[in-house]
Amino acid sequence: MNYAATFHTHLAALRSYKRLSAAGVSARQAPVPRSLSSSCGTCVLYQYHQPALDLLDGDLEAVYQMTTEGYQLIHQNEE
Amino acid sequence: MNQRGFLKQYGLPVLTGLLVGGAAVLLTLLGNPKNMGFCIACFLRDIAGALNLQRAGYEAELGSGIVQYMRPEIVGLVLGSMAIALFKKEFRPKGGSSPMIRFLLAVFVMIGALVFLGCPLRMVIRIGGGDLNALVGLAGFIAGILIGIFFLNHGFSLKRAYKQSYAEGMTTPVLMLLLMLVLLYAPALLASSRSGPGSMRAPVLAALAVATVIGALAQRSRLCMVGGIRDAVMFRDFRLVSAFLAIIVAVLIGNLITGSFKGFSFADQPIAHTDGLWNFLGMTMVGWGSVLLGGCPLRQLILAGEGNTDSGITVMGFIAGAAISHNFSLASSAAGIGAGPVAQTMILGFALLAAVSAANLERVEV
Repeated sequence: MNYAATFHTHLAALRSYKRLSAAGVSARQAPVPRSLSSSCGTCVLYQYHQPALDLLDGDLEAVYQMTTEGYQLIHQNEE
Repeated sequence: MNQRGFLKQYGLPVLTGLLVGGAAVLLTLLGNPKNMGFCIACFLRDIAGALNLQRAGYEAELGSGIVQYMRPEIVGLVLGSMAIALFKKEFRPKGGSSPMIRFLLAVFVMIGALVFLGCPLRMVIRIGGGDLNALVGLAGFIAGILIGIFFLNHGFSLKRAYKQSYAEGMTTPVLMLLLMLVLLYAPALLASSRSGPGSMRAPVLAALAVATVIGALAQRSRLCMVGGIRDAVMFRDFRLVSAFLAIIVAVLIGNLITGSFKGFSFADQPIAHTDGLWNFLGMTMVGWGSVLLGGCPLRQLILAGEGNTDSGITVMGFIAGAAISHNFSLASSAAGIGAGPVAQTMILGFALLAAVSAANLERVEV
């Protein structure tokens, strides 16, 4: 399944990308999709059989599953 | 990518860029200085002047400096962003991400911009107007962005922002609204140039209306001069940089139609100097500092309109930087760089950028 994870900082996205990649998860960094946020931060897009929350940085904002209908929120950290 | 996909990806950024370029030409026709229809650095500098934080070129017989005016364009950008953010439920007050560091960075971004004579937005407007000095500035701007990206990729972070109160998030928009009301109903409270660039101005309500539309579009498209190059380099994503190019095209076409275009040249360009070294270094400082801040001066205004108090602090830093720049004769003019300690201040600025960049590095591998 395809996921998009958004973060409070670019560093958190970078760390998460590195951890996912090190674990063999197909991942890449990208600008946060406009439909998810007005912020111009960095997100991580990845493919895995589950959201892999344990591999994502503590400054995680939210994780969305990418479906044919669009982005579906599946996890959100407290603000 | 098919046609629909292309339009979905690039439609809004390109449309925004074309309208920003068109607005710059229109505002120049309506009275703003040439090649300065829309310049965030220049207009914040004028606001610093309106508040008497600087009185550059003060002429006693006229009772005013040459760059003092409460520019409605700045108010419009913030309020346009705020209005659309409220309407789209994207007004989310947040802040607390190293505000003092942001203030200091903003001071030096503004000093660099005034050495070059313009923010990144004016840089592209100047390119569209035929000013080749702005191409030198662009080279410096890209160099600065690349330095900033190097630190981003090695763990630079100003730490995360946290949710703030609604009142805190509204502070910058309300401040802008109050300044606008003073301009409209009690203008004598504000300083106002009677000569020089500060005296060249589009009608208040026209400037406010145009900028409000641009502010809303910039919020929707996330228009950012720094973000465009950053995204292109880091992610091979060219959406924002397409807006950058659209501004140049729109300004060029607009200037050709209005007869303002006099060809590409280094010499005799409006409110520009030909000192290549300082044009380059001024914009290097702007590019590097803006990457650390997370956006160009225009973007900071738009984020402040969305309730981002870190961006609000950054805007205050820009105004302070403009005041320092003019009070210490650091700002350039058409005659060349300022008579003050420009080199020493720029060295100090680059040292500060390096120190901030290094001091805020964290381990990437954890």
